[in-house]
Amino acid sequence: MQSIRRRLTISYTIALTATIVVFGVALYWERRQSSEREAEQQLEVRLAEESHFAIRWLQAQARRGPVVVGLPNLGQRDSTYELVSDARGLFEGMRDYLFVADDFGRLVYVSPPARDLTPQALVEVRRIILRQPVVDQRGQLELLPGEARFRFLLQPVGSVSGELGSILVAAQPSTELNGPAQLLVSMILVAPLILLASTLLGYWLAGRSLRPVDTMVEELEAIQDGRSLHRRLAVPTGEDELSRLAQKLNAMLSRVEQSFNALRRFTADASHELKTPLMVLRAGVERSLTDPQTPNDLVGSLDETLRQINQMSELVTNLLTLARADEGRAGLVLAEADLRNLVHEALETAELLGTEQGVDILSDLPTEPVVVPIDAPRIRQLLLNLVTNAVKYTGSGGQVSIGLRSEAALATLTVADTGIGIAPGDLEHVFERFWRADPARSRTGDRPGTGLGLAICKWVAEAHGGTIEVQSRPGRGTIFTVTLPQVVPETPLVTSTE
Amino acid sequence: MKLLVVEDDKTVGQYVKRGLEEQQYIADWVENGSEALKLASSAHYDLMILDLRLPGMTGLEVLRTARDRGLTLPILVLTAQDGVEFKVDALRAGADDYVTKPFAFEELLARIEALSRRPRALSSRALQLADLELDLDAREVRRNGTVIELTPKEYLVLEYLMRHPGRVMSRTLITEYAWDYHFDPGTNIVDVVINRLRKKVDADFAQKLVHTVRGVGYVVKG
Repeated sequence: MQSIRRRLTISYTIALTATIVVFGVALYWERRQSSEREAEQQLEVRLAEESHFAIRWLQAQARRGPVVVGLPNLGQRDSTYELVSDARGLFEGMRDYLFVADDFGRLVYVSPPARDLTPQALVEVRRIILRQPVVDQRGQLELLPGEARFRFLLQPVGSVSGELGSILVAAQPSTELNGPAQLLVSMILVAPLILLASTLLGYWLAGRSLRPVDTMVEELEAIQDGRSLHRRLAVPTGEDELSRLAQKLNAMLSRVEQSFNALRRFTADASHELKTPLMVLRAGVERSLTDPQTPNDLVGSLDETLRQINQMSELVTNLLTLARADEGRAGLVLAEADLRNLVHEALETAELLGTEQGVDILSDLPTEPVVVPIDAPRIRQLLLNLVTNAVKYTGSGGQVSIGLRSEAALATLTVADTGIGIAPGDLEHVFERFWRADPARSRTGDRPGTGLGLAICKWVAEAHGGTIEVQSRPGRGTIFTVTLPQVVPETPLVTSTE
Repeated sequence: MKLLVVEDDKTVGQYVKRGLEEQQYIADWVENGSEALKLASSAHYDLMILDLRLPGMTGLEVLRTARDRGLTLPILVLTAQDGVEFKVDALRAGADDYVTKPFAFEELLARIEALSRRPRALSSRALQLADLELDLDAREVRRNGTVIELTPKEYLVLEYLMRHPGRVMSRTLITEYAWDYHFDPGTNIVDVVINRLRKKVDADFAQKLVHTVRGVGYVVKG
């Protein structure tokens, strides 16, 4: 139950995290692309403006006079002329790289940032400038090795005098794109909050939708035996899966109840209907047995017949008792009694049986009375069952010990033997109806028993609000332990139809 | 002592009637409730044995009607239903005791005896055979005036045999009486009891009273 809720929540969270990550990456990537494009465009516009401005200015200067003087040796820059116009002062302040070349492609001016360029870079610039014909050209070139490529714009100056050939402006696109970075920061800050909130919400939702299942499990747990089998699950309103599940479970419960009732009724009816014929049989046999005129050779077989009738009556009575117990109707008539007296009675029988089989009977009874509210005939039946079994499965020379203790308002009866024991795999079945252990326990020639004895014992113990347990080691012996509460249970055990 | 048996099953009815007559009771047997009420109101009976399951008027209805009419005779109920509630219902409706079917006849006799608070027709409160005496009230056994200590089961077995002197009683009948007809240990536990009884009752005397009839059972006779 809890695990389904947890699994659902974990699945939600994983799905949501994946969604957020994919969405975030896509958004970031797209945003970065567009930022770059934007920066590129801005750069191009800037270059165009700068170029245009510089050309206008140079053209204006050229109309007034020469702008270039032949000055030998501008050092390594391979120039023999120098820009002498006022434009020079203006160009000195330019942030971007600006190159002015004469008609022959010789550089007559290089703006300050470009003066630190390597010769290779200048060669590259000149190579571009020398391309013929000089028209508007855009492109990329590498000026600083290892850094982002520069965007450039090459335009002819078109001066009247012909001293100036072209101008080239170049700039690096900005590497700092603020937009995507900010987006990333926001996402990293916000995503955990969203995840936490949705996990909590998911947990709550899962719990809410699973609550009817919880309720159903509780209701089903309450249906344990024949007495509660008439109960049904509350069907949630609506036509959803849960309400259909509840309906199907209820339908199944109805079928289980029907077959359970049919079986119980059959057992009860059959046992009941068997009683009268058994009574009649017994009456006839008993009459013949007690009739002094019955020849002796018939008495033996009549006696065996009576014994069989008794066994059958016992079986029928036990079946009926258990069938009623399943209905919750076979109540007990409780009266306070000293358990020691009942144990004493059973001890005599045990001792008689033991004498016959060569089994020693030991007992350990307290000196103080052990007063327990009991249905004496039932407890007597339980004791005789356990004792008879114990003697039966203990070989000559063995021992059967019967103990009684009283501790903390709990009376504990033990019947221990040193007999053949019960295989570990069989232990859990010994209290089942009609269960028989391996053939060793029902050797031919032995009284087969009804197979209900221990089932009845279990019912008797439990109907008193007590327990019965068995421990055994094959070849070493078996201990049956019965506990009975010494206080009257709160729910009345005596049932009545009134 | 006059008894009224109300039982619709002919075999059971006849069996009870004949068995009671053998014990020197006077028994009338009717098969339905209305007839039972008619008889009980018009003639005197010392006790009624009433089956709970009757055609027409049920046993419970007969019980209630009888008590409503002021009939005070003890009523012993026969029931095939061993659910406690049936017994409780019957006792509430005015029954004095119940016997669950199938029952041993001795059990029925014991209940009748207890209810009528009188010794059984021909039995006194003491049984005697030769110099062996059995006091039913004190549950005491004497031979030749000397008290013999018996365990409860030994006493019951001896009592049963003494109730039927000269009659061979089978092992199953003895077991039923001393324990319960539900109890069947699967061994001849009765033999063990008889052996002990012999030691206590017969060993010191020349005249043996407890006898074995091979393959049949046991008998006490002088």
